[in-house]
Amino acid sequence: MHASLSFDQAPPISVPYRFFLVAPWFGATAGILLVWAGADALGSRWTPEALALTHLIALGFMLQAMCGALFQFIPVAVGGNVWRPRLVANTVQPLLLLATLLLVAGLLFGRPVLLSAAVPLFLLAIGGFVTVVALALWQTPATGMTLWAMRMAIAGLAITVLLGSLLAEALAHGFAVPIVDLTNVHLGWGLGGWALMLLAGVSYHVVPMFQLTRPYPSWFTRSFGLLLLGFLLAWSSRLLLDDALWSPLIAYPLLLILSAYAGTTLWLQYTRRRKIHDATSLYFRVAMLSMLAFAVSGTVYFLRPELGADPRFVVWLGVLALVGVFVSAITGMMYKIVPFLNWLHLQRLGAPISAVPNMKKMIPADAMTGQLRLHVLAVLMLLTAVWQPGLIRPAGLALAASFAWLGCNLAGAVRRYQGFRDQIRAAA
Amino acid sequence: MTTTVIDGRELQPPEPMERTLEALDTLAEGDDVLLLLYCQPHPLFSILKKNGYAWGEEVRADGTREIRIHKLPG
Repeated sequence: MHASLSFDQAPPISVPYRFFLVAPWFGATAGILLVWAGADALGSRWTPEALALTHLIALGFMLQAMCGALFQFIPVAVGGNVWRPRLVANTVQPLLLLATLLLVAGLLFGRPVLLSAAVPLFLLAIGGFVTVVALALWQTPATGMTLWAMRMAIAGLAITVLLGSLLAEALAHGFAVPIVDLTNVHLGWGLGGWALMLLAGVSYHVVPMFQLTRPYPSWFTRSFGLLLLGFLLAWSSRLLLDDALWSPLIAYPLLLILSAYAGTTLWLQYTRRRKIHDATSLYFRVAMLSMLAFAVSGTVYFLRPELGADPRFVVWLGVLALVGVFVSAITGMMYKIVPFLNWLHLQRLGAPISAVPNMKKMIPADAMTGQLRLHVLAVLMLLTAVWQPGLIRPAGLALAASFAWLGCNLAGAVRRYQGFRDQIRAAA
Repeated sequence: MTTTVIDGRELQPPEPMERTLEALDTLAEGDDVLLLLYCQPHPLFSILKKNGYAWGEEVRADGTREIRIHKLPG
């Protein structure tokens, strides 16, 4: 019967892959930037190099990968249909790429004209993306907390980009805005309202599915997203209120719910009946341990103001969040999503199941675990380099090599897909 | 009436879908397939919808989804 099966109109495989194949090379560029900048790069969150590095990871790697994954995840996980996915992806992805390069160059070299040029491109790219994704997420008949988390995440992305655009224009034109508070709110929505909300929502679906755990407890999935949203709204009130006492009051429970998510995920991994120690499971473990380390460090930041006064402390938090949590979790996801998409799209060619290669043949396990080890080494070296600036260049080199290896692994998977596709077509 | 049970809760994708499609290949009129999962398999639902199958879904207290599939008459 498989030869006659008709698969639903999932987006062409080129749609997510055009995002996935580009993303790691932004990360590699971030590593090269550290090698080039050297010892002073991570002295504070406000150095041009730190700002450029942050956006190379957050926009170049994370946003590219997450946008690509959403195109495929929406039909597969929540049964939604994105309008004209090929057209949208072919428009959004290059705009996003160009906007990121302009923003990073503007931040790195202090060129207002580049910052101003990036803003309309971001608004166009993300405005279009948010519109079509939101329509798909509101039109699907599916239910469940994954769907609600994705809806909240896409709103979080819109808020992040609007705040980021305001910040870029303020920097470019010297507008009188509270830059520090606005930046803190911008990063709260970017890392919390968009990235963490999406990661959690996707976790509810993919952690049980790919890592063979029990489902997340329903009390947790029902409350996590709403609590996160509530605390982010409260966090945003710092723009209106004096934050001397207010910030810790919001930050402690926020850090507590981060810990609850990380702890629950680790517990689900620990208590599963069939233990799988593949790259995805290990990457998730690294991400969740980094999140716990972030929560502990964040608590210390507020409890011990004398330590928090050192500008390197926030850089430490940034490395944990960006590279430790999100790069790890996203890479782990891509190592499942890409082989699964290869399999799904080969299946769509109409060949018998026996003719479609196993998912495990799409990316060699050794290549994934080797890249994982290098990534963990890069995270540890970066964290050390925050306090020992002499290590910044070797840490940057490790980061660049780890992302380049990821890029090669993903490109290899695409080549294998093309090879298997040609074999199946020839056999037909 | 015969029910073929596929417990996909400890199988990695795409094995549950492969086993389900194989079971549907030999499904007789009036028989059904019971698939147990911890998630909603939307790609499988798309295939079922387009190939003349119907399914019902129930969620157990432990989060297991019982998906019962049968062929539509005609």
